[in-house]
Amino acid sequence: MTHHHPGRTVRPGRTAAGPGRAARPSVGALAAAALLLSTVGCAATGSAAGAGDAASGGRGGTLVIGATGKLPNPDTVIGGAGFEGKRLVSFQIYEGLTRYDLSGTDAPPEITGALAESWTVAADARTWTFALRKGVKFQDGTPFDADAVVFNLDRYLAKGSEFYTDALGAAAKEYAGGIVQYRKTDADHVELVTKDPNGHFPEDLAHVLIASPAAVRATGSAGFARHPVGTGPFAFASQTEGQQIELVANKDYWRGAPRLDKLVIKPLPDVAARTAALRSGGVNWIEYPNPDDIDSLKAEGARIATNSYDHLWYWILDGSKAPWNDPRVRQAANYAVDRKAIAEKLLHGTADPAYQAAPRATFAYDPAGDLYSYDPAKAKQLLAEAGRADGFTTSVTVPTAGSGNLLPVPITEAIQRDLAAVGIKVEIRTTDWSTLIGAEAKGEVALGSDAVAQSTTLFQSEALLPLFIGSKSPFWTGHYSNPKVDQLLGSAAASPDRTARRTDYRSALSQVTQDAPWLFVVNDRNPRALSPKVQGLVQPQSWFLDLTTVWVST
Amino acid sequence: MRRFLLRRVLLALPTLLGVTALVFATVALVPGDPLTAFLGPGAPPEARRELTERLGLDQPLPLRYANWLGHALRGDLGVSIAGQRPVRQLLLPALGQTLLLTAAAFLLVLVGGVLLGALGAGRPRGAAGRLSGALGTLAVSAPQYSVALLLVALLAVRWRLLPAGGTHDAFGGGGTADLLRHLVLPAVAAAVVPLGLTARVFRAALGGVLAGDLADALRSRGLSRAAVLRHCVHNAAPALLTIGGLQLAYLLEGVVFVETLFAWPGLGGLLYDALSARDLPVVQGGVLVVAVAFVGVNILVDAAHALIDPRIRSPR
Repeated sequence: MTHHHPGRTVRPGRTAAGPGRAARPSVGALAAAALLLSTVGCAATGSAAGAGDAASGGRGGTLVIGATGKLPNPDTVIGGAGFEGKRLVSFQIYEGLTRYDLSGTDAPPEITGALAESWTVAADARTWTFALRKGVKFQDGTPFDADAVVFNLDRYLAKGSEFYTDALGAAAKEYAGGIVQYRKTDADHVELVTKDPNGHFPEDLAHVLIASPAAVRATGSAGFARHPVGTGPFAFASQTEGQQIELVANKDYWRGAPRLDKLVIKPLPDVAARTAALRSGGVNWIEYPNPDDIDSLKAEGARIATNSYDHLWYWILDGSKAPWNDPRVRQAANYAVDRKAIAEKLLHGTADPAYQAAPRATFAYDPAGDLYSYDPAKAKQLLAEAGRADGFTTSVTVPTAGSGNLLPVPITEAIQRDLAAVGIKVEIRTTDWSTLIGAEAKGEVALGSDAVAQSTTLFQSEALLPLFIGSKSPFWTGHYSNPKVDQLLGSAAASPDRTARRTDYRSALSQVTQDAPWLFVVNDRNPRALSPKVQGLVQPQSWFLDLTTVWVST
Repeated sequence: MRRFLLRRVLLALPTLLGVTALVFATVALVPGDPLTAFLGPGAPPEARRELTERLGLDQPLPLRYANWLGHALRGDLGVSIAGQRPVRQLLLPALGQTLLLTAAAFLLVLVGGVLLGALGAGRPRGAAGRLSGALGTLAVSAPQYSVALLLVALLAVRWRLLPAGGTHDAFGGGGTADLLRHLVLPAVAAAVVPLGLTARVFRAALGGVLAGDLADALRSRGLSRAAVLRHCVHNAAPALLTIGGLQLAYLLEGVVFVETLFAWPGLGGLLYDALSARDLPVVQGGVLVVAVAFVGVNILVDAAHALIDPRIRSPR
């Protein structure tokens, strides 16, 4: 990792599997990981199904995953099926200059090199130089180089360039919108300049996926979704409209060929259909089984894999008007809810109680920051202090379903019961997810309630954090505004030093916890049910997944 | 006959126009918008504004409808906002799957309904008649959802005789036999209720004819039992056609739900997803296709009526 570039060198990765070392994890590392899992992993951070088998080195088989949403558009950043499409399809076909290191289970993933081996950043925290990985080939055999990076950035950012489309441009803005300049400095180096200082730029780039220029040229941008080509561990084989996307192992993958032969993604949005598909052997892996089915699935021999990630299920309270404009009232609500009962009884252990703003699987989480607890007496006392000893009536808009929203209505009903016990009467108004989030994007509340129930992945990328707790968010945030939080978010974003960012984020989220603009409820544990034949899954503390370690025994 | 058909087709055009206009307005008025789903939460507001303009979503509704209609008349149904692919590319395979499932279910409805109905009408007071009546009532009153779940729980999960959903085996299936295996459960689940209805209506119609003057006259001329039944079935056929046509239409819309439960990749699931994402071009295209199919079925049923019963052919 020695480079002769000016500025500070940021070492991506954190362990032996860091970039620049042996590309494939050694057997020793795997055995160590397995040992770690069997002692720490299972006891403390949950299950990584079959991870112990990884060391025995099986391979092959077809993994058929029943997904909860529809199939994404496999053209790079377009997706269109939310983060699940990214997790199961886009991130398997493509890589960015960086990627999440998803090999660990005991801590949230860090960013490591993918198509870039290392990078340096100038003192202005805006000018980044990436040293590209040599010898990488796209799945169609095209060599990856600096021209490929520039080609893809043109496709996303350069209006009027041959392969730019409005849809690509709009979809890429989320993570690449801050890039104002990019150029090839030599065959193996590119320089990217961001508009503002951006310390988490390397993380953003994990979402800016790089496609094979030759493949794009062959099909044009419009046809590329039918013949997508990237550098990821799985190559696109076919898509049957509405039915499945079939991927095959990329035998020449630079980190080593994945163990699986084939990966099939099927959209099974109906949870009963999804569970039946697993039970009848039509698929051998389903995402998010109904928590009520967890026990019976286990009894039938299925493995349930869970681990924390950066998820929070919460209510956003409208702080601009009564009753929630008094912080004591918001804190009272936070003391009134029995989160443990929701996590363990209602959700059957597929979630953990959330006692603060930072989800437990984020690098900003500090166990000491768990401010709230189940304390109805304290809730009543706070209400009395706020002059609301007699309680009040309020309303909440709840989506009936939606990605990551778990069982939104039953959870809200449980909260409704708990809040009623301290005198807060809640009227529940249900709507569909699209309506709710569409209104939020316009800074409004669907059905005009005093609160909104929803979930989010807070640290999925740091770039999104200001949307949820910053005062200038275009989103409806319950009118939350705290200059101290804004200042901390600003200084965190500007710092390429992860430790400094972590300190800032911790302070910011501790402030949010105290201000209680939300009713914090639970952190999901990302449950999935697997046939016992599925081996080698390492379930990281992330929404995303590295499927290269998985295989299916016969 | 040709004039009859021409008249019906011309009458169908305003219906289709009305349906598409109504759906366009409804979906546009429902809160929520397609861009949120597509852009992701982190997209800056200017990206949203830009795309809104590019897609013409900021234009007045009548203008947008006129635009859509103009393209649709030329066979261009636009591009899905959420999926960024041509609507036609999404619709055609889904339509094929829905028609296949509908046809299979309708076949079950016709064959089962006629057999069960004839059994009941032929021996109304015998054991067979009672059984037919009971089965018909059971089928009509069975909640489709429970039937579907029961079929899956027993035949797919417990006994593993048939697949629980989809159109082919993802572990290397394919081919006609595999497709037919996957077709059985959804077709049965979709057919149960209309089959019961058809059986009951046909039983009543056939029973009426068998008890009427025609049957007496035929019997008095010494015709065999089978010959009497044959003539009576012909006279009960218009009733079968009416109920059959209704049931076919019911199936076309009703399979939406069965498609969801059995992960059948038809129009139902496509429309449902598109509605959730407020993906107007897909919703519009899907509704148009369903409306055309619906109207087409009605015209066919009317034409069949006219063939059997000459009185219908003349407008006077």
